[in-house]
Amino acid sequence: MGRKITPAKVCTYVALSVWALTTLYPFVWVILNSFREKGLIRKDSFSIPLPGSGFTMDNYAKAMDRFDFANAYLNSLIVSVSVTVVVVILAGLAAYGLVRYRFRLRGVCYSLIMAGMMFPVFSTIIPVFRMEAAWGIASSGNRWLSLLAVILPQIAGNLCFATIVLMGFIESVPIELEESAYVDGCHVFQVYFHIIMPAAKSSFATVAIFSFLWSYNDLFTQNFFLRVPREKTITLLLNEISSQAGVDYGLMAASVVLIVIPVLAVYVMLQKHIIKGLTAGAIKG
Amino acid sequence: MKKNRLFALLLAAIMLLTLLAGCGGKPGGSDPAKDPGPGASTAPQDTPKPAAPVELNVVTSYGGDDGNRKNYENAVKDYEDATGNKILDASGTSNEEWKAKVLTDFETGTEPDVLFFFTNADAEPIIKAGKVVDVATIRAEYPNYADNMRDSMLAVASDGKNYAIPSSGFWENMFVNTKVLSDCGVAVPGPDYTWDQFLADCQTIKDKGYTPIACSLFEVPHYWFEFCVMNNGTLANQLDVPASADDAAGKKWAAGLNDMKDLYEKGFFPANTLTATDAETVQLFGDGEAAFLIDGSWKVNYFVDNHGDTLEDYAISYVPAKGERKASEAIGGISMGYFITKKAWDDPAKREAAVQFVEHMTSDEVMSTFVTTEVTALKNGAAPSGLNPLQQSAADANAAITGVVGAVQDTITPEAKADLFANVQNVVTGAMTAEEAVASAIAVN
Amino acid sequence: MNSSSTLYKKKGPLVVFLVPAFLFLVLYLYYPFVQNIINSFSNITGLGAPAQGLNDPWWANYQALFTDPKLRTALGNTVILTICTVVFQVGIALILALLVDSIRVGAQLFRTLYFFPIVISATALGLMFNLIFLYNGGMLNQLLSNLGLIGKNIDWKDTDHFMVTMFTPVMWQYVGFYFVILVTGLNNIPTDLYEAAALDGCVGLSKVRYITLPLLRNVLCTCLVLAVTGALKVFDLPWVMFGAGMPQDKGWLTGTYMYDQTFNRGNVDYGSAIAMLIVVLGVVLSNVANRVFKPRNDL
Repeated sequence: MGRKITPAKVCTYVALSVWALTTLYPFVWVILNSFREKGLIRKDSFSIPLPGSGFTMDNYAKAMDRFDFANAYLNSLIVSVSVTVVVVILAGLAAYGLVRYRFRLRGVCYSLIMAGMMFPVFSTIIPVFRMEAAWGIASSGNRWLSLLAVILPQIAGNLCFATIVLMGFIESVPIELEESAYVDGCHVFQVYFHIIMPAAKSSFATVAIFSFLWSYNDLFTQNFFLRVPREKTITLLLNEISSQAGVDYGLMAASVVLIVIPVLAVYVMLQKHIIKGLTAGAIKG
Repeated sequence: MKKNRLFALLLAAIMLLTLLAGCGGKPGGSDPAKDPGPGASTAPQDTPKPAAPVELNVVTSYGGDDGNRKNYENAVKDYEDATGNKILDASGTSNEEWKAKVLTDFETGTEPDVLFFFTNADAEPIIKAGKVVDVATIRAEYPNYADNMRDSMLAVASDGKNYAIPSSGFWENMFVNTKVLSDCGVAVPGPDYTWDQFLADCQTIKDKGYTPIACSLFEVPHYWFEFCVMNNGTLANQLDVPASADDAAGKKWAAGLNDMKDLYEKGFFPANTLTATDAETVQLFGDGEAAFLIDGSWKVNYFVDNHGDTLEDYAISYVPAKGERKASEAIGGISMGYFITKKAWDDPAKREAAVQFVEHMTSDEVMSTFVTTEVTALKNGAAPSGLNPLQQSAADANAAITGVVGAVQDTITPEAKADLFANVQNVVTGAMTAEEAVASAIAVN
Repeated sequence: MNSSSTLYKKKGPLVVFLVPAFLFLVLYLYYPFVQNIINSFSNITGLGAPAQGLNDPWWANYQALFTDPKLRTALGNTVILTICTVVFQVGIALILALLVDSIRVGAQLFRTLYFFPIVISATALGLMFNLIFLYNGGMLNQLLSNLGLIGKNIDWKDTDHFMVTMFTPVMWQYVGFYFVILVTGLNNIPTDLYEAAALDGCVGLSKVRYITLPLLRNVLCTCLVLAVTGALKVFDLPWVMFGAGMPQDKGWLTGTYMYDQTFNRGNVDYGSAIAMLIVVLGVVLSNVANRVFKPRNDL
């Protein structure tokens, strides 16, 4: 291993860097254009905007000026954090139950979850809306109820994916650990919280990231339930700005940057949990 | 359908008068005779403030990229300041998804208090369900409600009653890029422009290396469809809807589609007309790479916002005519208005506020901020505060307009409309005949 | 191996594990979807409109599924997309994950960078790709004509080029997604296994072949299932870039076709039938994927 530079290593880094370039460049492109003057993007979207040659902060000023950003970020955080927390808890329990227990309806349950992942949100949204309207949650005019009206279907929407992914991960956790804990007198819930969750910690972090991300970026559901300005999330707000922008691509780019920052923050925060060695440590313990 | 047609004709006749009277004036200078007299409208400022502030749920299509969004927001703010009431605005952008959302709200009992919506077939479900209050009922309690409007221009529902108070209308006509035309040595079309002349001009423009017609046949074939249909019929029978592909109206539609196919085959549309977006092709026109564009009154503000420094390069002209139609005949009308829902009307706290809100939004003063060159149902006409060069050009063109009719696409079901316009690409490429496309649309009407 | 454990003999706690999640699913997915099934047999003229009785005959929509040429196009395109997804998305992601796993310096950086495309919403990506593939002055056409490779602009969305234009962004966007899942799976492999293997002289490619891949099997299988079902549902990026069936009704996917029928055509009942087709296909295909790649599992 050591610090030797081998041809294989060089190839590895080249391959990784090439792909990284394709993923990084678009983002850089969006950031650059968010500082570009209106109308220049279609003509010249690939240079670096410099003060005096197309650089401007106007796009951000315009975006910030018209709307209540603090409130929208708050709404987004309430929705996405609630969804993430509930999804991780419920999906973890369900995945554990489905992986470790053998029971008659297990195959059926698995197929149901599989099918649930396939349901297009377009075909479930209207019955859900009617149901929540009947309960008085949707379109009630009350901000907190409206946010709840979005949170609940989003939880259901992310639950299937999260369960499937966690099942895959929990299956790889060596069962010997659990058995020895059981022999030591641990209850099944203690096994779950003290063995499974720490062992699959990085998997939970991964699922949390995706739940947060999808809840946060899910324009369709949010758009259906949140209508009044004080209820709007950041995604809705920026969608509104960009739809008002028409061909003002600079304003759209600025909107994208503003929308992406919190998600990147969450990813970087949770990413440190996706590091090596945790499972090995758990086995030794 | 018949009632629709009668109404449309009536509307067209009155609109013509309004257009001639309203748009012939000098820019900026409003005719003193048309200024609203004192007390002519019931502005909310005159009414006493209600005891407790009310929260009104309002849905309009003035959200998103609507050209009047700012005017709408200002008007709402004025209302809030004057009455102390709060408007919970849930406006969106007018499209099929928005319509579906509005109708779903009515279905589930979560409808707004005041709704700004289409007054044509789209509104029938909520009218039939008794979810909105008719104007006569409101007037029984508020005799001055919308008395600044010409009652004859209020939309008539299938039950013969009026429900909505109309806002500003629209027109559709031909935008031309004068710079491209002069570079090609083509004169700006006048009100006697013929189809043959148009074809010749297109060829000249094409030979010069420009795109003659800016149009995305994928996204917005309906502008050309309306006029091509009228070119194969008359203003009077424009709103006839075919019962089959081979009746008179069906043949007219098919002939119109074939005219579009002819333009496509001659290469007068952009090379990527079947894959381009409307925004792309309009930009071609705006950037001086295309000569002709059929679009609506709402597009004027787009050019003001995005091509403000080249505004004098654009003009409003006339769509070339064929057969019995004259080039001075155009599409236009009033398609949307304010409804008060039964829910708000039955709520004693909200009734007055809802009425006040609609009166405010449709008052002469507020309407004048929305309107530049569009028709209104106002008795006194609107008094826009000044016209830019493009609006002036539109006003000049409107002054020579001899006839206006509503769009036939507004009289068919959304399903038929979607089917018809999605098949335009198949007709022009020959994947389908025009008759088949008409028959397919009629089958779902 | 699982069934041998005495720990899981008592089935009581299972209620606590499964009931909360399934309560959500029943209320928010299965009940609405049962409505969807009923809708697919009913005559519904508009979104939000109540059903006006059953179709005549009640299976009319399912009959239509078999005769609808646009749906056939959509299924054909979706099958191609599914194959591409499995081969390229999961394939590239696996290679990248293994490579990142084999290095020390910069691994963290690459993990973050590869995640970028999934963070940016589809609307923004669509806009970006539209500018890249734009006919008039787009990045690709600018580049190619500057290099003198083309004399005339290429319409990247026409019938000859649309597949590449549509699929490349979809592929590219979700490689990062499978990458993150696979990296997580790799991290769950205990290091002492590698250490033991290294003692036995098992390094490099043989380490991957004999240790990593077998242990990654469950996660890889999950990825395949997600890829297959995901391809059937792909919607947002193609919709933003291509809209309804561009070009000339040849560009449909099952996801975009279902949306168009439901929301633009008001053909809610037919849209419901397509949704049924998507779900049935998804369940069947994912079961096949499970059977093929997970022979030891008794699901």
